[in-house]
Amino acid sequence: MVFRKANYKHSGRKRYPMTSPSKDLEVQDRKYITGSLKDTEESIKAILGENDDLSMKHFKIFGQYHAAIFCFSDLVNQEVMNKEILKPLMYVPEHLIGREKPLTLLMDIIMNEALYHSQAGTEKRIDLLIEALLLGKTVIFIEGLKEAIQIETKDVEKRSIAQPETEQVILGPREGFIENIATNIALLRYRLPTADFQVKTMKIGRLTKSTVAYCYLKGIASETVIKEVEKRLSEIDIDAILDVGYLEQFIEDNPFSPFPQTQSTERPDRTVANLIEGRVAILVDGSPFALLVPVVFNQFYQTTEDYSSRFLMGSFVRMARIVALVFSLIFPSLYVSFISFNPELLPTEFAVAVAGGRAGVPYPAVVEVLLIEVAMEVLREATVRLPKQVGGALSIVGVLVIGQAAVEAGLSSPITVVVIAITTIGSFATPAYSAAFALRMLRFPIMILAGIFGLYGVVIGVIFIFNHMLSLKSFGVPYMSPISPENYQGMKDVVFRSPLWWMPKRPGFLHPQNQNRLKKNDNTVLKHNKVGNDQREEKSNGGSEGNYDTPGNNDHY
Amino acid sequence: MGDPKEITTLQATTIIISTIIGVGVLPLPLFAVRAGETGAPLVTLLGILLAATGLFILTYLGMRHPQKTIITYSHDIIGKWLGRFCSIFVIVFFYILTGLAAREFGEVVVSAVLRETPLEVTVLVMLLLACISCRNNINVFSYIHNFYVPIILAPGLIIVAFSLKNSNLLYLRPIIGNNFQDMAAGTLTISALFQGAFIITLIIPSMKKPAKALKASFWGIFVSGGLYLLIVIATVSVFGSEEIKQIFWPTLELARTTSLPGNILQRLDVIFLAVWVTAVFTTLFSSYYLTIHSIKELCNLKDHKMLTYFILPFVFIFAMLPQNIVQMYKVIQDIGRAGLVITFLYPGLLLLIDVFKGWRKKRSVVQKS
Repeated sequence: MVFRKANYKHSGRKRYPMTSPSKDLEVQDRKYITGSLKDTEESIKAILGENDDLSMKHFKIFGQYHAAIFCFSDLVNQEVMNKEILKPLMYVPEHLIGREKPLTLLMDIIMNEALYHSQAGTEKRIDLLIEALLLGKTVIFIEGLKEAIQIETKDVEKRSIAQPETEQVILGPREGFIENIATNIALLRYRLPTADFQVKTMKIGRLTKSTVAYCYLKGIASETVIKEVEKRLSEIDIDAILDVGYLEQFIEDNPFSPFPQTQSTERPDRTVANLIEGRVAILVDGSPFALLVPVVFNQFYQTTEDYSSRFLMGSFVRMARIVALVFSLIFPSLYVSFISFNPELLPTEFAVAVAGGRAGVPYPAVVEVLLIEVAMEVLREATVRLPKQVGGALSIVGVLVIGQAAVEAGLSSPITVVVIAITTIGSFATPAYSAAFALRMLRFPIMILAGIFGLYGVVIGVIFIFNHMLSLKSFGVPYMSPISPENYQGMKDVVFRSPLWWMPKRPGFLHPQNQNRLKKNDNTVLKHNKVGNDQREEKSNGGSEGNYDTPGNNDHY
Repeated sequence: MGDPKEITTLQATTIIISTIIGVGVLPLPLFAVRAGETGAPLVTLLGILLAATGLFILTYLGMRHPQKTIITYSHDIIGKWLGRFCSIFVIVFFYILTGLAAREFGEVVVSAVLRETPLEVTVLVMLLLACISCRNNINVFSYIHNFYVPIILAPGLIIVAFSLKNSNLLYLRPIIGNNFQDMAAGTLTISALFQGAFIITLIIPSMKKPAKALKASFWGIFVSGGLYLLIVIATVSVFGSEEIKQIFWPTLELARTTSLPGNILQRLDVIFLAVWVTAVFTTLFSSYYLTIHSIKELCNLKDHKMLTYFILPFVFIFAMLPQNIVQMYKVIQDIGRAGLVITFLYPGLLLLIDVFKGWRKKRSVVQKS
């Protein structure tokens, strides 16, 4: 912090308030540039002068007028600056040779005839110009003119588009979002070349001034949801938004719930699919994740792959995921309650085997399971944080050696290790990390309940969780819909992934303005399978005669 | 009422189903057999019909006043003070019902699964669960009921299906019982098991289409009554009436006789009991909610959330009052029959007066013109 005594002379004996360049900038609020190059230079240097990466260069426009160009040299694309900005301004372009260029017309000539840049504008206020500089624009002041030129020249290094790390698929697109918001919006727009696709941006974060964009499809997304998103976003006042997760914590409905009430995704295709269902996507510059609202619980175990693969495949895999979800929540607690309270439920041979395995273990089943579970959590966290090269080795050491050793040392029974392993694998099968995390967390209280009340406790715990989920809302949409409250259209896509032609409408629980997905309700998808409509027979001779129609479909309907 | 009116007809139906089906299923065959011996199914059917009549009266009354519950429209019908006085009885009755249901299930849990856990703990846990859930608004209330209905219906149907192979139709004859006086009393006891359906009075004001409430109550009582009837038939046909008289919870015993093919689990009764927690929870939830909401409306309070915890100790104390299980069942039977005055006669009387008033009003209008 710098004490600028000069600015605060009037404060006398009082303690000097701390000041900073940004405070000085506020002092400059709504001041206009004077036209004197020297004054402007001084006032910019007073605020930004301590930065060594601020570059300033004097030059003469068309060899006539004094001018100064400002930019943050590391933030802008030097090549663009040299070739597209400096060159046409310093060399008189061919078509301007010989023409008179008076100062009064200079700005017009530069903007309309000389400068080769699409994102150039003029600005009079000095505070806004300084902010533009900070955002990577190049600013040109001209002696004698009360307007300055600002040109978008930002060029920050970004990584290339890669496969999303957290949401891998076997079938489907391989693109993932990157940190740069412009690229991300481009990825969305190229999938949605429709006039309905709307992108609205705002700046949030007093220091980071992060660009936040919310996108939706007009005419599909519910107006109330859009308004609510806008309202909640605009109410955020914080110094920094470094990731979309910062926003999530401000806009979610119930911050104390373990369940995620927004969905973050790295996949543009998933984002687009959700936009089409009537959701709103929120993007932040600097974050490779999009936030989708409103959400319902069932979408946390759905993947884009469900829809790109055939419906039988999709449904089967989805059911496997649901089983995994249930496992990850209650399997260890069921084990505890069976072993400690109701061993008579187990088939006799198995019960004997369990008892044999547990013979040397001194602790009650709850303690044993809790111990191993905690160890597992630590191990999991360790593997995430470790460098890749070490991580692989550690997970093998952790799982095999520690598990084996724990059994041999009499700390736990082999069946406990099996149970914990299945649970852990189950929690990995949930595609959404945040939802898997919620269940992982809730496993512990249920385990303790199981240790106290057995099966009764497990059920009490599960009812408690369900009641909580049923009472949750995400932007006005009940969390457990379409199961309860019921929605028939939505229910076709909960446990099973119904064929696309069985779902002619968008899920009604999101209150979309336009519900139709398929053109007509009585769609004709299956007609080509009906008896007497076999086009291949009709056209069996036509294929080789240069008929490039797709057999059948076009000429019949 | 600040909440939007969002309850659909299906939700209303499921609320009635899950409210009715509760811990009463466990001793149901015993009640029926005590009253009617082999005529138990007939007694049950009569009980269901009686309960259905009561429910229809109440629903019809609610549909005549689609913005109000019985607490508020009783003011209009029989006057402010008399209405309040009667409402107090309604509240006290459901307060007692909540306590008794919690106690009854506590007894079941303690004697069937958790033998060493104190009764107080199981009762309190159950009540806490209902109490915390009661802090939600009426829409969430309906979501919760809607969600659990399949879980509630499934175990009952599975038990009935599995017990078919052990059934003996001879046990069901003669279909008409012997002692008609006992049967009449039994009908009352059984229809008392359906008293939870009173919740419809709370739902109608929040329904999207109150005009369809009658449909909801019909299907509600049809499904739940059907399940009850099936269970009675199954239990009697497996055990016979004489044996049932020796068992406290014949339905639980029926679950005990079933087993899964392939010996996946040795016994199923514990699983059934565990799943049955949901059914008991929804019943408790409804009666607790009804109690709290009625108090709220009686006292013109804005919010019911604070009341939930306030009522809890009183419900708990009442639940612990009966000395033992035998006394508890005596209390349940007596209170249940007495409750019919509140859930059957009182709405009937209100309806009569309401219709009469409406008729008189119409006539006076006609005379004036």
